[in-house]
Amino acid sequence: MAEEKKGRAVATQTAAKIPKFVRGNLSATLKAQEEGKKVAYAFIADGQDEIMRAMDIVPAWGESFSGVCAAKRDAENYLQKAESDNFSRSLCTYATCNIGFDMIREELGGQMPEGAPWGGMARPDMILGSGQLLCDPRFKWPQATQHYLQDVPVFVGSMYYPPFDPNTDHHAQEKFYVKYAAEELRECVKFCEKVTGKKMDWDRLAATVELSDKTWDLFIDTYELRKAIPTPMDTGDAMNTMVPLTFNLGTQEAFDFYVELNAELKQKIADGVGVATHEKYRLIWAAGLPSWFALGDFQYFNAKGADFPVEVTYRGCEKIERLDLPKTNDPLEHIAWRWVRYWTHWYDKAMKRPGSIPKVERIIEYIEDYKCDGVVFHSAFSCRSWHAGIIHQAETLKRVYKDIPILIMEGDIVDISSYNEADTHNRIDAFLEALDAYKKRGN
Amino acid sequence: MTDFGNGNGLATADKYYSQYGVRAQELKGSGKKIIGYLSALGPLEILTAAGVVPFRLKGNVSEAITKGDAYMETIVCPFVRNVFDSAVKGKFSFLDGMVLPHQCDSIDRTNDVWSYNLNLPYWHFLNFPHVTDDPSIEFTKELYRVFIGTLEKLTGKKITDEAIAKAVAAHNENRRLMRELYALRKTNPPLIWGAEMMKVLVAAMSLPVEESSALIESVTKEVSKRTAKSNGKSHRIMLIGDQIDDAAIIDAIEGAGAHLVMDDLSIGAKMYWGDVDVTSDPVQGIAERYLRKLKIPTTFVGSKETYQEILDERYGHMKQFISEFNVNGVVLFIYKYCDPYGFEVPAMKSYIESTGTPVLYLEDEYSISTLARMKTRIEAFLEMIA
Ligand code: SF4
Ligand code: SF4
Repeated sequence: MAEEKKGRAVATQTAAKIPKFVRGNLSATLKAQEEGKKVAYAFIADGQDEIMRAMDIVPAWGESFSGVCAAKRDAENYLQKAESDNFSRSLCTYATCNIGFDMIREELGGQMPEGAPWGGMARPDMILGSGQLLCDPRFKWPQATQHYLQDVPVFVGSMYYPPFDPNTDHHAQEKFYVKYAAEELRECVKFCEKVTGKKMDWDRLAATVELSDKTWDLFIDTYELRKAIPTPMDTGDAMNTMVPLTFNLGTQEAFDFYVELNAELKQKIADGVGVATHEKYRLIWAAGLPSWFALGDFQYFNAKGADFPVEVTYRGCEKIERLDLPKTNDPLEHIAWRWVRYWTHWYDKAMKRPGSIPKVERIIEYIEDYKCDGVVFHSAFSCRSWHAGIIHQAETLKRVYKDIPILIMEGDIVDISSYNEADTHNRIDAFLEALDAYKKRGN
Repeated sequence: MTDFGNGNGLATADKYYSQYGVRAQELKGSGKKIIGYLSALGPLEILTAAGVVPFRLKGNVSEAITKGDAYMETIVCPFVRNVFDSAVKGKFSFLDGMVLPHQCDSIDRTNDVWSYNLNLPYWHFLNFPHVTDDPSIEFTKELYRVFIGTLEKLTGKKITDEAIAKAVAAHNENRRLMRELYALRKTNPPLIWGAEMMKVLVAAMSLPVEESSALIESVTKEVSKRTAKSNGKSHRIMLIGDQIDDAAIIDAIEGAGAHLVMDDLSIGAKMYWGDVDVTSDPVQGIAERYLRKLKIPTTFVGSKETYQEILDERYGHMKQFISEFNVNGVVLFIYKYCDPYGFEVPAMKSYIESTGTPVLYLEDEYSISTLARMKTRIEAFLEMIA
């Protein structure tokens, strides 16, 4: 996501602009006060992006800031600070890194800690969490932060989607899930109105949501260009190019970024330029947040002729038409439908393949569409949300699809103490050898 | 059904504790359907109303995980991993199915792993919100209705409002009886040892509600006959955590000369405080109880204006327990990799300490392999508060 010390050179020119985006988002939090804007601690994929954007609330993204700390290998200090107040090292390290940073800034009377990466992140006027299916820290982190920022009001909303159950018709449940999510978004608006003292401009919200939809579509159109052989962009870059979608949804800059990326990828395809000099193996990054301090590992793959034309991680959107969203004039209800269907639209496929699950259907779809030869998962120890269940996904994939080579790497998102470069590279080598043998057997 | 009339409650509790699941197995033999569940969010009233036997799963702290790790990541909380290991080893082969309530990531994210590997005839993942506002109550009611529908399909019988109301009454009575037994811990020394109480709590969660109530009554009768002879110096400890379901850690506390007089555990006080209100739609009262009255860190509570008020909302019941049960030391025992409890530690610890009660925070596995280390820390803590 950022200017990591290990220096991973991005393959696309457009991705090189990402550090500016990340920096821009951080400095927006620092400038907010003089611009008369309120800052909210916010968490990605909570469905609250458009509400914040339409109300000129500046999001301060904890995950982004912790990712930057990790990429710059500056997180340890903050992790230790959190640990000193009894936050276990086994908790989500995005959260503990951020909380450690908050603790230090509070001890300095609100002054930015010296050497804070990229100038640091501003003290918030509010915290917007979400108790939802994505993860526990999305509501525990705001609550834990409040212990140190006691005057800062916290709102925790809720955005659920029906669980997959081959014996239950999820379509019958979607409506009440959507109703609930929309009501929770309405509660969020009320809270933001109270803190900002401003009323929501509903037309502006509708326009923002429309822009998000367009961004979702453009993002997918752009990423689907990576189906080209050789692929013009891989996951190493995607861990950067996800930033506008993930952190700037509902802004023109995010949309414009993908216009540019789209043009660049088309040009690369026209020129026959790929990520790996000689693309030998096409891989899917099937699950897992990356080790931000070791993004250089993608280049290690690339140097061996392996690249990743597709990943599940941070592909937090879908072509709107594929979601078949019911018409509504209420932008919040639209966000709710988009959210619920984003998750459930793989369910029908999973129902049709006995023993399958939606996560695996998604992987199969990508393997086929992007012509992948192998599968890589990354299991980060401090995040159960994306990483518990990976073994099962891998097993299910083999059982219901085919005996495709799979590598499960282990590490963490922020905590560098879990990482060993030599071991990681050895495991990658062994995997690529197995993949080679697999391909030679005619797969 | 076991006869508890002659005051053999403690012995029966001990049997059901050490041969966990033996009664469920018998009931299965007599044609009952046994539905397993995890966590304090297990919707007991609805299961009872369906005519099935709710059976709460536990692991075995003395047994190493030998099979489960092949299917489930080690970043999942050690409690869930251990129970899953027991399950895949066939310890609960009498189950007809399971309901897995969405308590936390460790459960939610492993639902597929459980359902595939156990391959039981009935399976239901019961979603559950993390926030407690009014829309969440309505949502919870919808979730319960879906759940009720799946149980009706399983049993082939309609679950009527009357049946639910009857089950509500039975479980409220069960909770009342357990609180009555808890009250016998208020004397100095308490009339029932913490380790004995643990066995009663564990036994109770393996029984149909009427049997559980009869067992509790029998234990209360038996224990009430004891007389409290104070030696005047024992520490009175409260234990806080999620599913601690083995007497080992309590033996460590009581073996060091203290009494465990109260708990805020997910199989203990969390289960038995907070009744279901009788409402015209009985599902309403159930939703309100599990969402608002059950004090677990997997629901976000924060409706009040000031932080202090919010803390009172979250932990006020602990303060009350401390004063009612005359607690003078708290052991906060949290499993590794548990985000819901783990993120609470600084706030909870300082809140309890603000009452003048010292807190020992332990982070550990669900295993006795680390018990010696825990014992040393507990002993040091008790010495410190002496
Ligand atoms: S998804 Fe994982 S890494 Fe992100 S906040 Fe949640 S637990 Fe932490
Ligand atoms: S101990 Fe924590 S992580 Fe484990 S089941 Fe309980 S709440 Fe979930």
